Amino acid sequence: MRALAYAWQEAVASLARARWTLLLSIATIAVAFAMLGAFRVVSGTVERVAGGWSEAAEVSVYLDDVVTEAEQAAIRQVIDRSGVTSGVTLVSKEQALARFGAEFPELGDVTASLDANPFPASFEVRLSEAGMAGGADALAASLAALPGVADVRFDRQWLSRLIAVITALRTAGWIAALALVLGAATTVVAVVRLSFEARREEIGIMALVGAPVAFIRGPFVVEGAIQGALGALAALGGLSLLGRALTRALGPLAAALGNDALRPLLWTDIAGLLAGGALVGAAAGLLATWKWDPQGPLAR
Amino acid sequence: MIELHNVTKIYGTDVTALDRLTFTVDKGEFVFLTGPSGAGKSTLLRLLLRQEVPTEGTLTVGGRELATLSTREVQAYRRSLGVVFQDFKLIPTKTVFDNVAFVMRVLGVPVEQQRRRTYQVLKGVGLQHRALAYPPELSGGEQQRIAIARALVNEPQVVLADEPTGNLDPDLSLEIMDVFRDINAAGTTVLVATHDRALIAHVGRRVLHLESTRGARAEA
Repeated sequence: MRALAYAWQEAVASLARARWTLLLSIATIAVAFAMLGAFRVVSGTVERVAGGWSEAAEVSVYLDDVVTEAEQAAIRQVIDRSGVTSGVTLVSKEQALARFGAEFPELGDVTASLDANPFPASFEVRLSEAGMAGGADALAASLAALPGVADVRFDRQWLSRLIAVITALRTAGWIAALALVLGAATTVVAVVRLSFEARREEIGIMALVGAPVAFIRGPFVVEGAIQGALGALAALGGLSLLGRALTRALGPLAAALGNDALRPLLWTDIAGLLAGGALVGAAAGLLATWKWDPQGPLAR
Repeated sequence: MIELHNVTKIYGTDVTALDRLTFTVDKGEFVFLTGPSGAGKSTLLRLLLRQEVPTEGTLTVGGRELATLSTREVQAYRRSLGVVFQDFKLIPTKTVFDNVAFVMRVLGVPVEQQRRRTYQVLKGVGLQHRALAYPPELSGGEQQRIAIARALVNEPQVVLADEPTGNLDPDLSLEIMDVFRDINAAGTTVLVATHDRALIAHVGRRVLHLESTRGARAEA
């Protein structure tokens, strides 16, 4: 505790002496951690939206207009026995037409002018958790091969492709953000090293009068931690401002996606960013003084 | 208190700074270490401060063989010494008070005790009124007396001084030597490296004369 209290006092005094290098360091860390935070928000939002779409995904089995009752029963039997569904609804041609009319009343004239009902009957198959996990692909394939089936649409196929693309982009984003954090850590190392070199004589004297290594290195580790935490704090401030601006600008889109689709930074994210900033800074401070030997040359 | 047995220090492959040096300094003794430039006085003090270790031989202080100490033990050992350097080695960004109190601070001595002891040793060297000054604001003699105060504040059993009057005028040098004599009178072992024969004569204590790479010879 003594060493920590001493390190804190010395680090604060040292940072106060080097305000401009401190600002440079904070700015670098802030950019890196703002990127990290932004990716956390974006990936959280994408997960929510894609998760919602996945839950709503279902297999639509469109029937031939000339499907027989026996074929229809066989199709129903395959669905029921698949073990990957949580419910199934038969939508007749008439129901499909009525649903279209209700959803698109402005197109009522078009459907009224047709000689025959163009909409096919269909089974709407809702998927169980097992179906969401992947069993629905096999079901869709087997249904498509049955007589009386005109087409099988499985929303999750395009959704899976979309999620795969988003995941790849997110991975690339994380790598870029981590590279930025490494760059920020390098800046902290350089700033702490400058501070260390500026006080080399003082450090040498402290070593000669027997100061414990924790008292000598400690202030530089704390200096790095303070820089990291302040950088992360600045990043959080920037993210907060950016978040407000985006909420205003993308309000209609957010409403379309659902009010809870936009994922804000959670307290755990905020604590994680602050702790991460402090840890990265402390590690950089330790690295900056790593090669220093309190006993000088020890050639034997 | 201090024992050297066949201590040799070789730099690189062929530069011999000390060659089979053997001597003992008893507890409570005042010893001058003298000799021409290059005789190895500074090397010996670096060995005693454990900035370096002997190439051969053993060096023990207070029963501890210095070469075997870990980093933590080296720092603890240094805190048990009082060291005075020719160039004072005061921390310019700390006040006189903080320079002197620093060792007690890292040892966790209560603040009130730090304050009392620091003013006590500053008074002992006649500089209690300069406690809040910074080292660059002091004269050479004052800085050296602050360095002595720092060396004494932890009540060390051994005080090592490397040319402590090298940057001072003759009158101040005699004053500083009187301070060392008082320290020794209180029971502290004192080892002073100097080439100033007038000072040695003034104090009149045992002298270890280092001759270039041939070991130490007792003079008086």
